Amino acid sequence: MVDYRRDIPLAITFIIGVIAVLDYYTTFESISNTFTVIKNWGVVLQAFALGLGAINLLRVHGRRISEKRDGWYFSVWLLAMMFIFIIVGLMTGKYEAGATYSWLYNAIYLPLGATMYSSLAFYMAYGSYKVLRARNFEAGLLFITAVLVIIGNTPIFPAMFPSLFSLREWIFGPIVGGAYRGIRIGVGMGAVVLGIRTLVGLETGYLGRR
Amino acid sequence: MTLVLISMIIPALNPLGLPLMVGSMSKAWYNTIDEAPEGSVILFDIGFGSGGYPSLGPGTIAAFHQMFENGHKIIMMATALEGSMMYPLIMASVKPEQNYDAVYGEDWMFFGYIAGGQTAMAGILGDIRALTSTDFEGNDVDTLPIMDGVNSADDFDIVAYVTTSGDTSEGWVYQAYSQYNRPVLGGMLSMMTTSMKPYYDTGQILGLMDGIKGAADLEFLTGHPGDAIISSDILSFSQTLVLIFIALGNIAYWMQKKGGS
Repeated sequence: MVDYRRDIPLAITFIIGVIAVLDYYTTFESISNTFTVIKNWGVVLQAFALGLGAINLLRVHGRRISEKRDGWYFSVWLLAMMFIFIIVGLMTGKYEAGATYSWLYNAIYLPLGATMYSSLAFYMAYGSYKVLRARNFEAGLLFITAVLVIIGNTPIFPAMFPSLFSLREWIFGPIVGGAYRGIRIGVGMGAVVLGIRTLVGLETGYLGRR
Repeated sequence: MTLVLISMIIPALNPLGLPLMVGSMSKAWYNTIDEAPEGSVILFDIGFGSGGYPSLGPGTIAAFHQMFENGHKIIMMATALEGSMMYPLIMASVKPEQNYDAVYGEDWMFFGYIAGGQTAMAGILGDIRALTSTDFEGNDVDTLPIMDGVNSADDFDIVAYVTTSGDTSEGWVYQAYSQYNRPVLGGMLSMMTTSMKPYYDTGQILGLMDGIKGAADLEFLTGHPGDAIISSDILSFSQTLVLIFIALGNIAYWMQKKGGS
């Protein structure tokens, strides 16, 4: 018995996956042209996903407002700003951002976004103070390495003592690079296995809850 | 936290011009652009938004100054949603028409945001005209002189990107280097340097601009000092303060432990 809700998506995944793999390893023009069409459709689908995300935001925060959950006023603010940006953006033409939209973005969103990232500096300073303590041998190793890397990353110290920069480079090179390569090889092998399992239909998590 | 804030405000208001040492990865980025023949076609991805602009914006501006000075052709795109809003900010600082007599459509052009991450990268490296027929301003791609003879990865001499996303950063290596063997230059946040340096060590990425430090290096090398060099003073002050905090924290911990025992 064919389960259409499961078997058709699995078949589509298999066919497109095989075309993608063949496009990488072969030079047949028909495969290349077919995959070009698939890639372009992928771009269109992901663009539609953005719109779907906006609709989902409306649904989730609309429910928070209607049920008056904790912090529902933040949801009002979020939806208000979302609609302001959408309406102003759509009003200012198809291709240009427009002076009003640019002002809204540069005056509101840009400083807020920059502030969110910048606030990390304070958390990292406090975290360094709390975490980097030589309580035992392993913590001591972490402490010494972290201090050497911070000193190497601070512009003024390597400028005065170039050997500090070489030390940082050495830590990043054989030690961190070697460890990270091991992790990436493991991740890569896992990705290959996951890809093969997805192609043959053993992994169905992407089909959603059933 | 107040001390950290003060350590950032003082050099921001009164730049001290503290010395900095140019890193080898930034130097490699600079040399790659400098040694490319005049008129080389560079695909440049603006892969960051408002959060990454303070760190990566200055470096991107310095990179564009160097590319325009060297007479390269720059085809820009954005894999980040906010990249289209970063483009006018960056161009307002670079002023290519005024500073370099550059003409839009002949010396540079911008595709705008292309959705899809690695799908977008694969699309633009595979067949540009199948992916999009217009640029960011609605001009037909075939009417732009810069796009003459440019349609896929083989027509790009260098692929460069600046991004805050790990997926984008590694994605360009997978799509541009692994599949088409294109020279790749990468710019990213400092915290991503650890994950991208192995690609630099193996030659898959020819140059790395790592965060604000890399941006300051590029500003120094290109002779266009800006916000990044000012920020390197802030970096020196604040990180020195963090080192002092770490030392004080350890001294307090050991004194407490000694007192307890």
